[in-house]
Amino acid sequence: MNAKAEKIRVASIDPSYYQAVTDAIRTEAVKLLSEEAVVAVVGYLPGRRIGTAVPGLVTTPEQAQQLIFSPACVNNLSLYLTKAKKGVLKKGKVAIIAKGCDLRALAGLMGESQVKKEDIYTIGIACAGVFGANSDRKGGLTEASIARKCRECTVHQPEGVDLLVGTLPELPQLTALEAQELARLEALTPEERWAYWKEQFSKCIRCLACRQVCPFCYCEQCLCDKNRPQALESSPRPAGNTAWHIVRAMHLAGRCGGCAECERVCPMDIPLNLLNRRMAMELKELYDYEASMVPQEKGPLTRYQEDDDQSFIK
Amino acid sequence: MSLLITETNLRSLVDALVKGATLVVGPKHSGSVVLYQPLAAGSDLTLDELPRRSAKELYFPVCEDILTFKRENGKLEVRDIDRSRFPETVLIGAPPCDAGSPSILDAVFSWDYNDEFFLERRRKSTIVGIACTKGDDACFCTAVGLAPDAKAGSDLFLTPLLGGSFRCEPVTEKGQALIDKHAGLFSEGAAGEPVAFADQSTGKLDLPKIKEWLNGHFEDPLWESIADICVGCAACAFICPACHCFDINDEGNPDNGTRRKHWDACGFSKFTNHASGHNPRDIQNKRYRNRIMHKFKYYDDKFGKTLCTGCGRCIRACPVGIDIAEILDTINKKAQQG
Amino acid sequence: MHAEKLQHDFEPKIVAFVCTWCTYAGADLAGTSRMQYPANVRVLKFPCTGRIDPVFILRAFQKGADGVLVSGCHPGDCHYMAGNFHARRRFAAFRALLGFVGVDLERLQFSWVSAAEGGKWVEVVTELTEKVRAMGPMKEFKALEDEEQWSGALNTPELREAFESIT
Repeated sequence: MNAKAEKIRVASIDPSYYQAVTDAIRTEAVKLLSEEAVVAVVGYLPGRRIGTAVPGLVTTPEQAQQLIFSPACVNNLSLYLTKAKKGVLKKGKVAIIAKGCDLRALAGLMGESQVKKEDIYTIGIACAGVFGANSDRKGGLTEASIARKCRECTVHQPEGVDLLVGTLPELPQLTALEAQELARLEALTPEERWAYWKEQFSKCIRCLACRQVCPFCYCEQCLCDKNRPQALESSPRPAGNTAWHIVRAMHLAGRCGGCAECERVCPMDIPLNLLNRRMAMELKELYDYEASMVPQEKGPLTRYQEDDDQSFIK
Repeated sequence: MSLLITETNLRSLVDALVKGATLVVGPKHSGSVVLYQPLAAGSDLTLDELPRRSAKELYFPVCEDILTFKRENGKLEVRDIDRSRFPETVLIGAPPCDAGSPSILDAVFSWDYNDEFFLERRRKSTIVGIACTKGDDACFCTAVGLAPDAKAGSDLFLTPLLGGSFRCEPVTEKGQALIDKHAGLFSEGAAGEPVAFADQSTGKLDLPKIKEWLNGHFEDPLWESIADICVGCAACAFICPACHCFDINDEGNPDNGTRRKHWDACGFSKFTNHASGHNPRDIQNKRYRNRIMHKFKYYDDKFGKTLCTGCGRCIRACPVGIDIAEILDTINKKAQQG
Repeated sequence: MHAEKLQHDFEPKIVAFVCTWCTYAGADLAGTSRMQYPANVRVLKFPCTGRIDPVFILRAFQKGADGVLVSGCHPGDCHYMAGNFHARRRFAAFRALLGFVGVDLERLQFSWVSAAEGGKWVEVVTELTEKVRAMGPMKEFKALEDEEQWSGALNTPELREAFESIT
């Protein structure tokens, strides 16, 4: 009964809130494009299927009328500022739609000098949550369909953006499933944890969707693509898969913004964000570092203090 | 009168095959996903969900060894994998979009070179297809010429009936042989109503017209508009029943190692990267164009077949929601306009 | 040395990643001073602990190491001023990651050994070797090397034999 009541409350966010955000985005995008304040707006367009949206780069006020915001707007668009759309930035200022979690990635990219603040115009969304991967999207955003990351979101309200759109509706308290799962794993013995991850990694087919959607995986030459010398096996066997996921988590430690895109896109449902989140916890504990929505000059692994903990070193 | 098998007997068939040392592969739960996997018993078989990965890996594994090498006393000894050791296999519970793909791939794997890894597995396997009742809005098998009850590629075809039994239709001699060998599990009877087939959200495509349009539009603004958002992963290709590109890698060290063949995909930027550093498909939309071209033009040019079974997996899995059914529909419309 | 070696059933393979300025010199000092330490350790020399990528540690385990030692200059003594400070943070994070994945951290040792500390080198290497010897072989990563996705697995005697011959 309780769960049902919660479900209705989450679903009730739907219509007017999303419509208001959509309208505000369209108005702003049309204004920016017609005043030529930006050359393009990176936003979301409706998908063909019910409950889907696709990232889109709009360049005219007419196209901007198609922009939407709905629980289907799952993608972290900051990806397009460092990879496929990198060329766009050179043509002029670009506006980008960002939820709080995307904004942490954007701030991280600024901190790593990949994106200049003055090159982009950020439209931040006061976000009530989005769909999880493979969820049933027909009934709107419900407790069953909301993404795991959104259940314990701390960045509903963006900070440091050029324009903030949307007014947060009242949000229900949802159980922190991911934190629970993390605690469950932490309580296991090393052997049990190894068995858990071994099973997860063995499903991996190395489609590298986790790498390709990650805003921080912008290396021109990925370590896992190198074959002379080979740093880790490129064949999708359990050995290479395990090495790949360990290396991936390590390379994102202290950088990951927690958008959990890697986990969302994994076609084999490997809970990759648990690794990222575990690392974030460790870095918070050790060096009091947390990914934030405003750029920080240096990450926890690119700076140091002389009195850092070294209790593990002989 | 039709030949029928009850669900219980279908599971018993799996048990009997497994006991007879046959590798039986079918949809099976693995954590939150359903995958084609070896079944240890009939009770493992899951028929209520389309597996995340296609059944192609039965013939074309994610990764397989093709030879091992070892240097001893300065002499390099190379050992081929003994393909006669591939087990007799039965693929069970594959919907038409999966059952239909190996017969499409036969053409390329026996074209100018006989890929015995694929072909030997094909010879040793029997496909038990099943009519599809579980489609969703990503499915488009009818659009590419198949159907939820298409028998193409199956050796034995099952149609789920209301009440839980299946109507069995042998399609090939292999299928008939499977029935004959386990005759006790099948029975003759009046077939009831079949379970309703899955609805398809997309209309039938005019594939020859699409191909004609592709012939003349290697360069077209369409590619940029549909595929600039592609992030360049291989989720679509790896879970596709028809994509069959692979890479070959030597792993180990120069004195001792294994040559492995594993999946590769045209979506990767490294796929066409030359040793010189030049990349003829230098941007992502050119790579995505190749995906469409290969499936609906090149493969047809060479083998007269379309390299797509409309399973919709790529649509469901694409990180950025690229929808091949929608793209085909767009091309179809352009093609009709001439 | 030889007689002593025969006493053990299991000789662990220990890989030591060391910086050239301090620990390598320290190990050298141990040698020139004729100090004895287990021959189980394979030393790999790097310019600085800051150059020792966590991937190296992973690779060592994958390729058969039973224990890994990473050692360099004491804080403040880095030849490149801050290499070991950065390394210290990186290894703290990597340790946590390996622990979370289920690797027994007892097999991974970090130490500061200066060029003057030949004795400490002997102590660190001996202690790690004996600890790992007591723990037995590192099976996890080695077992993974032999595993296949089901579709690529071929459980034939020939293949088994071929795999076993690969080390």
